[in-house]
Amino acid sequence: MNRRDLLKNTAILMGGIASSSVVQAMLAGVDGRVKIERPIFNWDQKKMTQVLAEMIIPRTDTPGAIDAGVPHFIELMVSDWYTETERAIYFEGLLSLDVYCQKHFSKAFLKSDAEQRIAALEQAEKEAGSYKVPANKNIAKEVEDENKPFFLKLKELTVLGYYTSKEGAQKELRYDPMPMRYDDMQLSEIGRQWSS
Amino acid sequence: MSLQVDYDAIVVGSGISGGWAAKELTEKGLKVLMLERGRPIQHGVDYVGEHTTPWDMPYGGKPLRELYAEEYPIQSQTHGFDETTRHFFNNDKENPYVQNPDKPFIWKRANGLGGRSLIWGRQVYRWSDLDFEANKKDGHGIDWPIRYKDIAPWYSYVEKFIGVSGEKMGLPHLPDGEFQAPMKMNFVERKIKKSIEESYPNRYMTIGRCAIQTESKNNRGSCHYCGPCTRGCSAGAYFSTQSSTLPAAQATGNLTVRTDSVVEKLEYDAQTKKVSGVCVIDTHSLEKSIVRSKIVFLCASTIASTQILLNSKSEHFPNGLANSSGTLGRYLMDHTLGYGAYGIMPADLEKYHVGNRPNGTYIPRFSNLPGDERKEYLRGFGYQGGARRMDWKMMSGQVKGFGVRFKQALRAPGPWMAYLSGFGEHLPDKNSRMFLDESQKDRFGIPQVAFDSVYGDNEQKMTVDMVEQAKSMLKSAGATNIGSFISDAAPGSSIHEMGTARMGDDPQESVLNRWNQAHDVNNLFVTDGACMTSSSCVNPSITYMALTARAADYAVKALAAGTI
Repeated sequence: MNRRDLLKNTAILMGGIASSSVVQAMLAGVDGRVKIERPIFNWDQKKMTQVLAEMIIPRTDTPGAIDAGVPHFIELMVSDWYTETERAIYFEGLLSLDVYCQKHFSKAFLKSDAEQRIAALEQAEKEAGSYKVPANKNIAKEVEDENKPFFLKLKELTVLGYYTSKEGAQKELRYDPMPMRYDDMQLSEIGRQWSS
Repeated sequence: MSLQVDYDAIVVGSGISGGWAAKELTEKGLKVLMLERGRPIQHGVDYVGEHTTPWDMPYGGKPLRELYAEEYPIQSQTHGFDETTRHFFNNDKENPYVQNPDKPFIWKRANGLGGRSLIWGRQVYRWSDLDFEANKKDGHGIDWPIRYKDIAPWYSYVEKFIGVSGEKMGLPHLPDGEFQAPMKMNFVERKIKKSIEESYPNRYMTIGRCAIQTESKNNRGSCHYCGPCTRGCSAGAYFSTQSSTLPAAQATGNLTVRTDSVVEKLEYDAQTKKVSGVCVIDTHSLEKSIVRSKIVFLCASTIASTQILLNSKSEHFPNGLANSSGTLGRYLMDHTLGYGAYGIMPADLEKYHVGNRPNGTYIPRFSNLPGDERKEYLRGFGYQGGARRMDWKMMSGQVKGFGVRFKQALRAPGPWMAYLSGFGEHLPDKNSRMFLDESQKDRFGIPQVAFDSVYGDNEQKMTVDMVEQAKSMLKSAGATNIGSFISDAAPGSSIHEMGTARMGDDPQESVLNRWNQAHDVNNLFVTDGACMTSSSCVNPSITYMALTARAADYAVKALAAGTI
C-alpha cells in the first residue's frame, strides 16, 4: 500500500465522498485553505487584515468576515498564492493606511478609532477608483491582474474567502449542493442568492 | 486469414469514439483490446473532485498559477480546469507538442481512461445535408461521401444509448433526434426566445441538446443539477466512456483494456497490404511491444490518430500510413470561438432560478439559409447562450464601498444578464495542417506534433456578423449595457478540432472511404474527428459516435464476408 492508497482508505473510513476532495488536495500536496505554507505576516499585518476584513464584511444578523475565518484566508492567499508583485502591493497598502492615519490623526491605523479607520479605507478605495482593469480578449482564458491596487485586492480576497466559507455560503447566502431540478422560482422564496 | 493475431480488433483510444468502437465490436462478438495512453480512471471511485464544497477548494478556487504555467499552460485555459478536474487532463510538460508562437494552436487533451468523454461539453446536434452538401455546393474541400440518410439511423441508435435531452423543433437543418425531456429554460430565456422568434424570421432559440439524462435510463441516473459535470458524475447522468460504453463493452466479456500504453506507430505489411501490428510503449517501463489484430480502429482523437499515422512510415508509405493521397495531416479545422455579445436584461428582479443547469440555450444557424443569404461569407454559425442572475462573483467588483451596505447589496443576486456566443464553421483548407517535427521527440521518442493553422478570411468575416447579429438580437429582446465578445482564441480553442484524415470517395483526394476505412489499408479504420471532411457549425462529437457505430457494423460484416 502506498501513500496514495493509505490516504484513500483512511478517507473511506472517515466518511467517504464528503472528504474525497480533502484527500485530493492532500494527494496533490495542496491545502490552500487551512495550513499556511510560508507564513510571513507579522502581528500588525495580521491584526490589520483582521480589522479590514471585518470592515468590508461585518457581522450583522449573519456571521461576519472574522466569524468566517476570512483573515486567515487572506493571510494564506497573500503568503502562499500571491506573486511578489501582488504581495508588495498588499503590504504597501497596509502601510499607506498607517501613513494616512498618522498624517490625519497622528496615530497608527490600529490605534485609530472606527470612524478614522473608515476614512482611511475610503481613501484607499478612492485611490483605486481610477484604476482601469486591462481588457482580456481571450474568452477561454481567465487572466489574473497582478497590478490591481491594494483596495481591490483586499476586497477581492475578503469577498472570495467569505462567500466560499461555510458561514458565508450557508448562513449569509443559500447553499444547495443537490438541487435535483432546474426551474424558475421567486426570489422571495429564499430571499438570498445561491452561493454556488 | 493466415496472420497470427492476439485479438480480433484493437481500438486505440478510450474516449468518445474509442468507447463506441469497443462497445460495438465486442457486442458483435469480436475479442477487442482497447489501448489508452493515460492512467486507469474508475467510474465514481476516481472522480475525486466530485461535489467538492466551495470551502474545500484550495485557494478559493483560484488557479495554482506557478504549477499551471509550468505544467499545464495549454490545458489550464480550459473552462472547468481546476483542482477538482486537473487529474483528467494532459500534463503539457510531460506530453508536449511544438507551439509556434506566431501561429499558436491550442491542443486540449485528456490523459486517462475515458479520454475527453469525462470533460467534454456534452452538447450534441445532428448534422444535416446542409452540412454534408456544403463542400460540393461551394467548392471548398471535397464532397462528403455520405449524406444525412446514411447516418440518420446511426444517430438514433447512438442517442437512445447515450441519453440525449432536448426539444424537437422540426428544422431540416438541425434534425430532431431521440430525445429525453428537455431541460428547462428560465423565465428570461423564454422571454428572449419569444422576442427573437417574433422579430426575426427563421431564427429560433431552444434549450441545448445535451448528452445528459433527464430521465433515469440505460442503468444510469438522471441529472441532479449540482453543476460541474467535468468533475465526473458518479450517478452517470452524462455520457462518458465510463458511464456508458465501457460497462456495455465489459459486459460482453470480450474486452481487454490496457492503460498506460501509448501507441508509437502501426506496422504495415506490404504483402497483405494490411496493418500487421500496433507498436505499443508502456508509459512507465518504456518497454516496447507489438500487438496484432485483424482490424484496427484508430480513435485516439483527431490530432493523435493522425500523429500515429504520420509516424507509421514504411517503404510503401514514406509520408505516413494510408497517405498515398498526400492529404494526411491537412484540412485541419476547428470552430471559431469567443465571438458574440452580452447584455443586462433589466426588470424581473423578483424572478430567480434554482439548480445549476449544466446546459444553456441554442440558436441554430440561420445565415446562408434560404431567405437569409450573405454576400460577405459562406456557411454559417450557431450560438450557445443563456440568461442568469449575476452572482456575487460577478457583482462584487461592481458594488462600490464596503461594510453593512456592501454586504446587504450582495445578499440578493444581481440583475439578469444574457449572452450569445457563436461557433462558426471553419472552411476546409489544404494549408491548415498538422505535421510531425522530427527534431523534437517526446519522452517516448515519438516526434512531436506541430501545427500550421490560422483562421481564414471567411471565418474573420463571419465572426464580424456573429457579433453584430448577437448584439442586434439582444437589443431587440430589451437588453441594455450590451457588450461584444471579441476574441483572440487560437484555432483548437473550441476543442472541436476536425479533419486531417478526411473521408471521400476519391482515394487520390482523401484518406478514408465512406466507411471510415483507409483507402490504402483495408483493415484500418479511423472514426474520430480526424475523418471529418468539413466542420459544420454544430458540435461534432455525436457525429463521431454515429460514424464509429456505422463503421464497426461495416467492419464486422466485411470480416465475416472475408473482404478484409
